[in-house]
Amino acid sequence: MNNTEQEPVPHGKAAATGVAHREANGSFPIRITSFWSGRSELVVPALVLCLAGFLTYGTASMKVMGTSVPGPQFFPTIVCVLLYLMAGIHVAQILRTRRFPDESSESHSADFSTDLLADLSATDSKEIYGPSGRPVLGGRPRAYSDWKTLGMVAGSVAAFIVALPLLGWILSAAGLFWVVCRALGSNRPLFDLSVSVLFSSAIQLAFNAGLGLNLPSGFLEGLI
Amino acid sequence: MEQISMLLEGFGSALTPMNLLWVLIGAVLGTAVGVLPGLGSAMAVALLLPITFSLDPTAAFIMFAGVYYGGLFGDSTSGILLNTPGNSSAIASTFEGHRMALDGRAAKALATSAVGAFIGGLIATTVVVFFAPVLVNMATAFGPAEYFALAVFAFLAISSVVSDSVVKGLLSLGLGLVLAMVGVDGPSGTIRYTLGLPQLFDGMSIVVITVGLLALGEVLHIASRIHRDEEAVRVVSKGRPRLGLADLRRAMPAWLRGTAFGVPFGVIPAGGSEVPTFLAYGTEKKLAARNGDTDFGTTGSIRGVAAPEAAANATAGTAMGALLALGLPTSATAAIMLAAFQQYGMQPGPLLFERSGDLVWTLLASLFIGLVILVVLNMQFAVLWAKLLLIPRHYLYAGITVLSVLGVYAISSSLVDLWILLAIGLLGFLMRRYKLPLAPVLIAVILGPLAETELRRALTVSEGDLGILVDSPVTLVLYGLLAIALVITMIQHLRHRSHSKKNAPILDNDMAGV
Repeated sequence: MNNTEQEPVPHGKAAATGVAHREANGSFPIRITSFWSGRSELVVPALVLCLAGFLTYGTASMKVMGTSVPGPQFFPTIVCVLLYLMAGIHVAQILRTRRFPDESSESHSADFSTDLLADLSATDSKEIYGPSGRPVLGGRPRAYSDWKTLGMVAGSVAAFIVALPLLGWILSAAGLFWVVCRALGSNRPLFDLSVSVLFSSAIQLAFNAGLGLNLPSGFLEGLI
Repeated sequence: MEQISMLLEGFGSALTPMNLLWVLIGAVLGTAVGVLPGLGSAMAVALLLPITFSLDPTAAFIMFAGVYYGGLFGDSTSGILLNTPGNSSAIASTFEGHRMALDGRAAKALATSAVGAFIGGLIATTVVVFFAPVLVNMATAFGPAEYFALAVFAFLAISSVVSDSVVKGLLSLGLGLVLAMVGVDGPSGTIRYTLGLPQLFDGMSIVVITVGLLALGEVLHIASRIHRDEEAVRVVSKGRPRLGLADLRRAMPAWLRGTAFGVPFGVIPAGGSEVPTFLAYGTEKKLAARNGDTDFGTTGSIRGVAAPEAAANATAGTAMGALLALGLPTSATAAIMLAAFQQYGMQPGPLLFERSGDLVWTLLASLFIGLVILVVLNMQFAVLWAKLLLIPRHYLYAGITVLSVLGVYAISSSLVDLWILLAIGLLGFLMRRYKLPLAPVLIAVILGPLAETELRRALTVSEGDLGILVDSPVTLVLYGLLAIALVITMIQHLRHRSHSKKNAPILDNDMAGV
């Protein structure tokens, strides 16, 4: 990302100690322990390359119908080239510069270039999303993303999809609501339970009675 | 003036008690999602789409009109009170708005932004009423090459010119185009990239993609950060939002200047209201410096709130005009509105005014009605809206998770759709984590099929001669403007990069960027 005011440059002499200049404000701890530190972003081009590979295979093995020129393989080929090219450049960028997530600019939307907005408004780009934190070496080894909470939420959605045909809407949606609440830090399990059952039942009622859409009732079929 | 009689007819059908109720519901929903940080009108419309499927299209679009403007009314509330804008369209008005709130003038800031949003929206919608037929006439002369040029312009402007990083923007664009290509290819009937799943023959539902990226993706992103980030501190707003005569006199020129920035930007595919809001904010800042206003940047200037807020809604207003008349979505939210039209079997563009003229004019009339309802809702109940921010975040996001799966299941009662939703939600999380822009995906998913069809149509006509793509003045102007914008962006990126390299601290032997 090239919007940050303070993009560090390589410096051979500091290598011996590996200690950076500490800045009091806006700094956060990072550690460079392995090749992968600050390079986890490689997962993005990796996924893109997989997708591009699938696209290439799909385009090559496509059973083309009709004889129109250009045919259905024309546009996908252009997209494929775009994906390979951009993924390649992205890999090179990540390998050249380690990238660490910046906690202080968490609200930063990537949809808009901070530089562009700063230039348009004659404002310092730091003001737009707050000062960008500077990585400081030797911090606590803590993952930036909270994988446990994330896993619980994603897992509960997966469990919901499996459970929906078996348990029906009311029970599975209530379960989904309850688990997400717990994962996001609610500490009133019993109260949450009543909220979630109320919520899912209200939806079932509104849907079946009001909008005439059918939600599965699972094994409760006939009981309610 | 044919338009006025058409509009009056539109008012006639919009002003029924039932339709007024739909506008009101839309306005309340829109303001609510606007107030809540991270949620916006695009997500709200996507979640409502499957649920409104049993309504008649007019009622649904009247409601969407309320949601569409409502999101822009609500987004400044959390910006002013919490210093966390509800949407990126409110960043520019947050600077001065939050300063005013800290100075004890929160109510005044809220009122300024509500009236600003009203004025911007009102003027822009009026402009649309008078200029939409002009745009329609222009668009009827467009052929495949012109439509392809428009799509390319939108793709590159949103993914490269305005987004943070050109490479990431183009990656997002490519991802969106891939999602759009799944399914049976229209012109030839070839089955593409479906993995043999018959459920995918019709392509991926736009609702699944939007809800996955904007709703579930946001929930997963929040989940990954909720135990890490600190909560924002809320400024309590006291008193009713009232603007005195002196305030009105000070804010009025800013409202009008902001609107002047917003109106033209609605028609340009520059991703929405961020660019014009920042332009408006910058202008007010320069004017304040010249006039010696001391409150700008210190205690908070009323003009610094007024101009960006008017610009945001003015952009949204003319964006609706470009969508209806040209079929060109200029922002992610407009793209979802386009998808909504397609769900009901309508294609915005010149033909829409002919085929569904009633609906279009009723929709335009309800945009006016929506604005009036919204300004009342936001002036009278601003304090109440701020209370929404008190809902515990775990209930809020648990509710959004359940509504996401509900919305997606309601489309076609398909479990495959739900698995796709989860996959796209995880993609949305990854994109947020690594700061890939989301808007290009939505634009690509919605304009991708159009771009492909028009490109192939143009090349079929010319028998493979690429020259046809730049054969008309319209296409030349579009590609020329795009080239200029890209060159300016490149210069800007390079300038900022060399600037940041010069000021960079020494970190260690290896490069570390943020």
